[in-house]
Amino acid sequence: MNLSVSSGEIFGFIGPNGAGKTTTIQMMAGLLNPTEGSVIIDGIDMAAQPEKAKKKIGLIPDRPFLYEKLTGMEFLRFTADLYNIEQESFLEKTENLLNMFSIFDHAHELIESYSHGMKQRLIMSAVLLHDPPLIVVDEPMVGLDPRGAKMVRNLFCSLAEKGTTIFMSTHTLRLAEDVCSRIGIINKGILIATGTITDLKHAAHVGEANLEEVFFQLTEGES
Amino acid sequence: MEVITLLKPRFWSFKNVGFLKKINAGFFLFAGIGLIFLGGIFAVSYRILIYFQQVEDIGDILAYKLLSMTLLIFFSLLIFSSILTSLSKLYLSKDLALVHTMPVCSEKIFLARWIESTLDSSWMVIVYAIPVFVAYGIVYNAGFFFYTDIVLVLALLCIIASALSSLIILPVVFVLPASRIRSIFVFLGLAVLIILYITFRLLRPERLVNPETFSSLLVYLQNLGAPSSPLLPSTWAFDSLKAALSGDIKSALFHVALSLSCAAFLIFINLLVARAVYFKGFSKTQASISRLFQTQSKGFDRLFSFLSGPARAFVSKEIKTFWRDQTQWSQIFLIAALIIIYVYNFSVLPLDKAPIKTVYLQNLFSFLNMALAAFVLTAVTARFSFPSVSMEGSSFWIVRSSPISIRAFLWIKFFIYLFPFLILSEILIVVTNLLLDVFPFMMYLSVITIFFLTPGVVAMGIGLGAAYPDFASENPAQSVTSFGGLVFMIMSAIYIGVVTILEAGPVYMIFMAGLRGHSLSCFQWIWVIGSFSTAFVLSILAIVLPMRFGEKRLSFLK
Repeated sequence: MNLSVSSGEIFGFIGPNGAGKTTTIQMMAGLLNPTEGSVIIDGIDMAAQPEKAKKKIGLIPDRPFLYEKLTGMEFLRFTADLYNIEQESFLEKTENLLNMFSIFDHAHELIESYSHGMKQRLIMSAVLLHDPPLIVVDEPMVGLDPRGAKMVRNLFCSLAEKGTTIFMSTHTLRLAEDVCSRIGIINKGILIATGTITDLKHAAHVGEANLEEVFFQLTEGES
Repeated sequence: MEVITLLKPRFWSFKNVGFLKKINAGFFLFAGIGLIFLGGIFAVSYRILIYFQQVEDIGDILAYKLLSMTLLIFFSLLIFSSILTSLSKLYLSKDLALVHTMPVCSEKIFLARWIESTLDSSWMVIVYAIPVFVAYGIVYNAGFFFYTDIVLVLALLCIIASALSSLIILPVVFVLPASRIRSIFVFLGLAVLIILYITFRLLRPERLVNPETFSSLLVYLQNLGAPSSPLLPSTWAFDSLKAALSGDIKSALFHVALSLSCAAFLIFINLLVARAVYFKGFSKTQASISRLFQTQSKGFDRLFSFLSGPARAFVSKEIKTFWRDQTQWSQIFLIAALIIIYVYNFSVLPLDKAPIKTVYLQNLFSFLNMALAAFVLTAVTARFSFPSVSMEGSSFWIVRSSPISIRAFLWIKFFIYLFPFLILSEILIVVTNLLLDVFPFMMYLSVITIFFLTPGVVAMGIGLGAAYPDFASENPAQSVTSFGGLVFMIMSAIYIGVVTILEAGPVYMIFMAGLRGHSLSCFQWIWVIGSFSTAFVLSILAIVLPMRFGEKRLSFLK
């Protein structure tokens, strides 16, 4: 796979189950060592300088496993300490983020009492604490209610406008179609197509069809 | 039929994991240790029974009393173990949410789960019980029927214990959440065991060998003949085995029938109660966890403000998680009891009655105490720092994706555990040395040796815990019983043993030279310096090598 994503882009990463989306994300985030090849984040090689590269990334995994015995606020403090965020800036940012994600009232409760959606919101707050230039997100809408989903969609767009890169793996093709500037389709570990929606339509020879039809057309031939 | 279907996933999982696939070096190591342990139980039981047979008049009474006590202890252990297992199987297992969505009535789910729980909670007790009963069979020249009777009696005892446990659990889950009951039972069970042990220790049974207390021994002997309660299932088991030992098959079968009828009755009652309350209890367990903590911990965080950001993050997280996890409390309780008993034993050593010169003996004990204290440290490390990497569980992705290296993560963990363990082991060694009233030389030597041993043992715990993590375990504290835990225990024992042996020769020379007022020869000085230097190098290697090994294995973990 050879893929590069530019600054300020929202890149959608789609593919059938077991295609290799999560594996790619895990390699990008430094959770998995690639058997060959390299991952370069903002000019930094993940294998050579993993800590420096990870400082540039905010990872939102599909399953929100957190430290259940910490409170939401303590988890944010933990994240802030890991990224060496100053106390003053931490307090200000935390309040804004917790309010934005509607979990301010639950900030001092143990994470074990949070619902799936609340945990997802907490992870997003933690990721935004250190203003990463790249946000890698695996299935962003899982567990979020419609209001939360809309808020996240708007948030990604506004972050991209400010220059943050969003790399998003999703099965929600409508979401990818609406917010992504470019989309990559992966199947059986191979990147079979990349480009804007228009590029993909050309590649699939489907005329004015939507992304769903493009997806079926491109992945059917491969499977 | 549906009950069998519900049990099939367990059987298939076992088949798919594959018994034959598990046969590797670790398997042989575990199997070897298990067999040695079983052989040990048999040898001790056999030796005791042979000894009892040689005691005139009361030999058989003692042997039967021992059998009755053994059965009672097994029965108590089975009930305790069944309570914990059935809580997990009936209410806390992750797959229950799936099972309860299936079109099967709740008492059938209960029955399937109860069968699983009975097997899980009793197989180990049975495995360890069999050598004891086989020893009875051999010593008393029992026939084939006795061995059949053992199987019948133990199986029924397990079923009764498991049925009684679930009868306790079913209504209690109505009042308390299942997760909390487990902690409470672990806590209470440990408390009872520890109190029993401490009471036993404080009674000082060693005094019984003293003729001055003979009158109390006579009273004790009178009690030996007293029968156990006829209402206890362990008594029926005892009566059956006793009858089978003497060849009275009819009486043995009668007591087996008593157990069988009790077991059948309890299962029937269980099904009735389960039909009424099991699903309601399960439903209650699924309700959201109550919000216990409304904590503000600014003051606590300020304590560690001198540390770097990542170090502070992990220290703070580790300590908070530790104290808020109730399963850790029982561990602390157990370790505290171990230490109290350890120190107490030193305070009652009858040094003045020993035939060897007291000063020599005191200092010999002090030297051995260094190794013993290090073994206590190994037990503490095995319980707390070895599972600390596994404790990260499914949240380990946070560490992997954070901007700190695995090396830094492990070293932070190392220091988190090093300081409290160092303080604990130094207090232990100083207090026991004060109780022994040792020479200043031995005091300094002990303090310095423990100062160098502790980092090595802690590093082995962290490093090997990182090399063999179990992130999927529901109870990571038990990871010490895994292959990695075994490697840690063996490595730690070897390390402590080698350092003790290295120091033994030079310490003896220095101590004897001091006693006799001589000075050391040139050769002796070389020996002393060589031994202590080797021990020092070994201590450095014990810190560096396991940490590197753990880092390497954890970094490449998929």
